[in-house]
Amino acid sequence: MEDMVDWTRFRGRRLSGLFRRVARGGDGVARVGRRQIYILPTGNGLRFGAVLFVMLLGSLNYQNNLGLLFTFFLASVALVAMHHTWFNLLGLSVQARGGPPVFAGDDASFEVVVGTEGKRARYDVGIPAHETPHQAIAIPGGDCGTIRIARPTLRRGLSTLEEVTVETRYPLHLFRAWCYVQTDATTLVYPKPTQAAPEPGSAAGDTEPRRRQGPEGMEDYLGPRPYREGDSPRQIDWKAHARERGLVVKQFGGDQGQEVWIDWTELTATDPETRISLLTRQVLDAAEAQIRFGLRLPGLEEAPGRGDGHLQRCLTHLALYDHAQANDPLQRTA
Amino acid sequence: MPKRTIPSNERPERAQILRITLILIAAYLPLGGYLAVQISAFVGLLFAIRLASLRWPAVLPGTLPLAALTLIGVANAAVTYQGWSGQNAGTALFVSMLVLKLMELRRKSDIRLVATLIGFLVVVEFLFDQSPWLVLYLGAVVVWGIALLVDLNGGLEEPRRRGAVKVAVTLALQALPLTLILFLLFPRLSAPLWNLGVDPSKATTGISDSLEPGAISELVLDGELAFRARFEGAPPAADQLYWRGPVLWETDGRRWSRGEGIANSGTAGTLLEAGRSIDYEVTLEPTDQRWLFALDMPNSVPDGAFISSDHQLIARQAVSAVKRYRVTSALDYRTAAPDPARLAAGLQVPEDVTPRMRRLVDEWRNRSETDWALVQSGLQFFNRESFHYTLMPPSLGANPTDEFLFETRRGFCEHYASSFAVLMRMAEIPSRIVLGYLGGELNRVGGYHMVWQSDAHAWVEVLIDGRGWVRVDPTAAVDPSRVDNSGASRMLGAGPSVRFTLEQADAIARFVRNLRLFADSLDAAWQDWILGFSVENQLALLERLRLGELREYGLVALMLAALGLTLGVLVLASIRERKPFDPLQAEYARFCGHLAKIGLARVPNEGPMSYARRVVAQRPDLAPTIERFMDLYIPARYGPDDPRDVLMALSDLLRDFRPRSASRMRDLLRRSR
Repeated sequence: MEDMVDWTRFRGRRLSGLFRRVARGGDGVARVGRRQIYILPTGNGLRFGAVLFVMLLGSLNYQNNLGLLFTFFLASVALVAMHHTWFNLLGLSVQARGGPPVFAGDDASFEVVVGTEGKRARYDVGIPAHETPHQAIAIPGGDCGTIRIARPTLRRGLSTLEEVTVETRYPLHLFRAWCYVQTDATTLVYPKPTQAAPEPGSAAGDTEPRRRQGPEGMEDYLGPRPYREGDSPRQIDWKAHARERGLVVKQFGGDQGQEVWIDWTELTATDPETRISLLTRQVLDAAEAQIRFGLRLPGLEEAPGRGDGHLQRCLTHLALYDHAQANDPLQRTA
Repeated sequence: MPKRTIPSNERPERAQILRITLILIAAYLPLGGYLAVQISAFVGLLFAIRLASLRWPAVLPGTLPLAALTLIGVANAAVTYQGWSGQNAGTALFVSMLVLKLMELRRKSDIRLVATLIGFLVVVEFLFDQSPWLVLYLGAVVVWGIALLVDLNGGLEEPRRRGAVKVAVTLALQALPLTLILFLLFPRLSAPLWNLGVDPSKATTGISDSLEPGAISELVLDGELAFRARFEGAPPAADQLYWRGPVLWETDGRRWSRGEGIANSGTAGTLLEAGRSIDYEVTLEPTDQRWLFALDMPNSVPDGAFISSDHQLIARQAVSAVKRYRVTSALDYRTAAPDPARLAAGLQVPEDVTPRMRRLVDEWRNRSETDWALVQSGLQFFNRESFHYTLMPPSLGANPTDEFLFETRRGFCEHYASSFAVLMRMAEIPSRIVLGYLGGELNRVGGYHMVWQSDAHAWVEVLIDGRGWVRVDPTAAVDPSRVDNSGASRMLGAGPSVRFTLEQADAIARFVRNLRLFADSLDAAWQDWILGFSVENQLALLERLRLGELREYGLVALMLAALGLTLGVLVLASIRERKPFDPLQAEYARFCGHLAKIGLARVPNEGPMSYARRVVAQRPDLAPTIERFMDLYIPARYGPDDPRDVLMALSDLLRDFRPRSASRMRDLLRRSR
């Protein structure tokens, strides 16, 4: 019943060229203009109109002037409300940005920042979502608000939110105004890891997960090394820093300094995507076991390391890795 | 139908259910007085269940009990009104079903539906009552409903409810001018498209077509307005204001009636002589009868009415709504002689004539030479003997005329008129009783006379040779000192009647009276401009705008133009947003404006630095000014510098900055060579 007229669903790919979109301005912010707002009555609005029509006919027929007066009053309220619905989107500034990386198959999250540049406050501004409840926000004049949306992901790589629909039914839910806003927000999608993967460095096909070496906390100090991006601040040798020796990281070896290479060539799976999924699992396993590990892909090598930063760098390589290009002989020589 | 799960944001909140229930109760209340008790009882029960369910959700009926309740509601309305036809039955059914909908408010859109249908309920209520108070009351209820719709839509600032009321009031205020335009200019139907359901027969009010003891004193206790009359020119003297209604011929000694054979026969009454003509307009409150009241004697016939041979104005249809009509009356007149049937009816005497009545009439007859002198003797009798005028006469027995004349001698106009007419008939003078109103209260605020039900009166007409029917008012013959006005008449709420001079009112009474007059002129304006606004008024308005010949098309065109204009103003007023003034930004805009004039406009996505580089690359001659401007502008705009310090410098710089376009420069250079 709710919103019998949901026009977004009728808008196929082929039709999308016919609809005006709100383009991004030079500053990356899209501003909703007059010609980019669409407005149609909702199911409630149609029912309201039908009741008004009956009221009008009855009052005209029985020459009941007070009935007419109230019919006209309600019609005028609806007319004014329609304009308020339209105003509520006019001049909104919309900017979307991607959220934290996710694994393929999970929902990628995006943040859409909707703001007003004038003094007029906006109410009930939302982005339609089919599964999650429709969330609408109020935006005080001159301020902005954030709407978080989730989009399902299927493949690794960059998930780009090309367009969002911003809609409102303010004030009476009789009309729905909406516009299509272009965005360039991207969220990184890591490859979906396989359930299990062979232990790196061991024979292919061995899917037994790696046994942990000794209890946690029994780590030996291995010595300092220079700071690398992604190292945990807890590992930084702050005393050395105070002595102006620069950022130095204290290395502990839970694995007695064991180091593994997670290598594309070690795997036997033929499908490159499967290989990438296996590699992802290996990377995640290695990070969980707190082993120092490096990643080798055709044409790409990430030196062994540890910590969140290292993990994310490796996952990013795996997410964006283009094996077709890497297999190109020109690239290989590089 | 599979039950779909309702998303959380579509489920109504408890407070919203409470509010729609309260709004519906408020909207129903005025109807309670018009619908039968059974209907209110059923509706009240549903309201009680709904309110209780907010505290104890188990009270809410399930599917089966709900179906049962629906059947009970339908049957209740049908049994109460014996069927479906008629305004009351239809309204009762609609209200019962609407309130039943309260039992299943599963989604917000259910509440929205109920709120929308309350609009229809409001229109239905105006079929029952059209007072301005009801309009104000229901207007408030409707705005409350709009606020609920705003609240249901959500996405508001906190505190939400106050925000919703604010939005609703804004919408209502902005809608008012549009409402006015639509009301004035929306084309009306001059005749109904269909007619069903509205039952015309309600209890009659005002004067009826018969006279029984107590009939008029009952009316006098009724404080209602009968009609308003607006005279063109000076109104006649108060003792000339005899508003003529039904004429009664037949009596059985107690009750007077029109007389079937007589009332509907004869030709239109004409006046042989007519003097002192007076024009006026009467706005008659609905009576559900066909009498139209006019001053003695009406000399013209309004549209949709005719004049009987007894000089009564009779409408072709019962007056079921406020009716306005114009009449001309002659204050001096001579009627034609009646036909033989009427002459005979005017001499019909009841059977219970007593010897002492006969003796009285014979005595007058012996004393008087002419009929007219006999009439005067009769009046003197009422004046001289100790007749008292009172609103609360003692009840009379089997022979009311005899008892009144010789024993109680206390009565009201009906007693005087009735007994006087009987006595005249005994003296062989044809006579008849006229019912109507006497007098009227001048409303100086509105400039019209108000005639109240308490002004109801009965008088006598006697047939005098050569003069036709002559009006005689035996009640007026009563000695004023014997008029008892200490009792009910002052508590009536009605104005002082011209029949008797009440003692001078004190200041408070005068104030109250003025207040009442003022309220009545508001009411009259309400009648004229809101309730009575019609096609004729619209066309008159068009005439005044010199668009008369366009008729309905002119109305529609005017309506659309006015609507468009008003909406345009509203839209502009809403769009207009004053951006906070930034002087630094203004200087930059001025700078860009100068450069745009020579064809070097800034591209929207160009920052000041890249813009400056581009301009300087194309026009190295402008470099010094541009670099100086950027040196001042960029730190003030983006850096920590206080913009106020550089504003003067920027302003000075721009005052002398008059770049010329490249082609113009070339011309100047060539010329100087």
